Amino acid sequence: MMKTAETALNVLAQVSGKTVPDILPEMHLARDLGIDSPKSLELLMELEDAFEIEIEDVDAASMETVGDVLAYVGQIG
Amino acid sequence: MSSFPPPPTNLIAAWERAAKHFPQRGILFCDRRGRLAPRVRYPELLEGIRRSAGRFLALETRPGDRVMICLPSGPEFIECWFGALFAGALPVALAPPQSLGSSRAVVDRLEGTYEKLGARWLLCRPSLKAVLESEGRRVDRVALSVDGWDAVEARRPDRWPPPDPEETAFLQMTSGSTGSERAVMIPHRAVVANTLGSGEAIGRPHGAPAWEWARSLVSWLPLHHDMGLVGGIIFSLVNGLDLLLASPRAFLTRPRVWLDLLSEAGPSISPAPNFGYQLCLERLTDADLEGVDLSSWRTALFGAEMVRPETVGDFSARFEHLGFDPLAARPCYGMAETTLAISFDCAGKGLRTLPAPAAAADAGFEDVPCNGVPIPGTRIRVAAPDGSELPEGRVGHVLVSGSSLFQGYFRDEEATRECLRNGWLWTGDLGFMSDGEIYLTGRTKDILIIRGQNVMPHDLEWIAEGVSGAGGSLRVGAFSVPHRSEGEQAVLVVEVHRDSGDALVSLDQEIRARIGRRMALVLADLVFVRRGRIPKTSSGKVRRRELRARYLDNKLGRVG
Repeated sequence: MMKTAETALNVLAQVSGKTVPDILPEMHLARDLGIDSPKSLELLMELEDAFEIEIEDVDAASMETVGDVLAYVGQIG
Repeated sequence: MSSFPPPPTNLIAAWERAAKHFPQRGILFCDRRGRLAPRVRYPELLEGIRRSAGRFLALETRPGDRVMICLPSGPEFIECWFGALFAGALPVALAPPQSLGSSRAVVDRLEGTYEKLGARWLLCRPSLKAVLESEGRRVDRVALSVDGWDAVEARRPDRWPPPDPEETAFLQMTSGSTGSERAVMIPHRAVVANTLGSGEAIGRPHGAPAWEWARSLVSWLPLHHDMGLVGGIIFSLVNGLDLLLASPRAFLTRPRVWLDLLSEAGPSISPAPNFGYQLCLERLTDADLEGVDLSSWRTALFGAEMVRPETVGDFSARFEHLGFDPLAARPCYGMAETTLAISFDCAGKGLRTLPAPAAAADAGFEDVPCNGVPIPGTRIRVAAPDGSELPEGRVGHVLVSGSSLFQGYFRDEEATRECLRNGWLWTGDLGFMSDGEIYLTGRTKDILIIRGQNVMPHDLEWIAEGVSGAGGSLRVGAFSVPHRSEGEQAVLVVEVHRDSGDALVSLDQEIRARIGRRMALVLADLVFVRRGRIPKTSSGKVRRRELRARYLDNKLGRVG
């Protein structure tokens, strides 16, 4: 579980250009981390590759915060 | 192929014809990582469609009922969309959720379409059904998850009665980049005429219709868009080609997927909006391109948005060494109201442009790309506002007539009357003819009128893009706002990268200077925003009206 969250945070850091300690669960992906529509596709691709999964479109569409991403990978991890 | 079968008269006949005459062809679905599944042949697909149609009948779906299909690109979409059509209902494809945080927007839109069409069913993925259920949305009452679809016992009629060619076959939502979206009614006759006419037109530079030399069509375009649905699935079906089908997300996340499919497609045709080609230029490095072979890509169609000569030039230069033929690049023109295609460039000489005639040159327009000749069965006329035909070279309203025309907007007689007059569609585009070919210079509805002069928003946008390096995933939008004494004035919104910082000051000066120089125009405002802040349609067109509304509401999030 810890490992899963760590991997996801690393991906978020890489895509957003922030460092892991700066990324908090309540942060909004677009507003706080600047993950706009082209970057969101990059994020999905990186998450899919890191966890070797396929994220369903509707699951992707409901991810708005860092917490949403962590909850999602926690579920599948 | 020994002989090409006679044209079908409707879409049910089109499937039966494909299953009989092209039994080895079909659809190859591609997953997100670009892996191609084995071909599902037309006879097999037809079986699935009939089963699905039987389920709609068992659920007492009646002729003319509207059936909303909100599914990603895949076999389920094909079975449900055509199944509804076989059962006599009117299928209508809607954008499934895709990007992060888009769920609410998608659900709101579904609800709106449901109310507007009075839809009988909505077919969707279980995950979307769960969202509708948990939010207690009204549309949930008619929502069916495709997970339970196989469990519905199908009713099998002895035969599928052939629909009248003049009957409405399906509804197509317009992309809604100008005004609100509408449901376009397309009859069987039009969709057959349009896809066969396109097959002929695409074949012209090759000396034979597409069905004689093409093996495949490659598409990653969304199926809720006419270019993906009619230009991808139905075009392949009617012309007897294999369809290599990727989802838009597969391409947008990994643009190489498109080029990989083209590398194994054999002699092929592939359409995309300008931004698709631009995305390949921006995102793919030479190291990414190992193993790519574009030498069988016979026709690279540029459609759905204005083609940019720089993109065609850059794409050709960049990919020629991988076998891309610069002469394969061909602009085309079309819209949902004409089923899809209106014209194709058929000269086989690559992108051609003409200097803008006086009226458009006044607006600063320089080179206008050629969009070619109308497809067989379609006529184009450039007219004055009173409908009288203008001579070649004069800019006016583009009117279209012929066998591909829609029947009207569903339950919207006023909007229908506005654009369909005496058998001619007023497209809302402006352009001129030269040697029987159409050149587009802008749209009437988005026109900026600055001190009595017509200014095309594209002109301003392209100048700004030339300065800022936008034009791919970065967008620019222009519109006008009322001004105290001057009437209307022009405003330009430009997306910039986050780290642009100090560069914004010089960017501001340079854009204003060039616009002043080239168009003798002073901007009332120049706004820089972060990437993604400019609203776009699903096909990547800037929603200028919405952008204007956000600007007036002070909701753009200005940077710098």
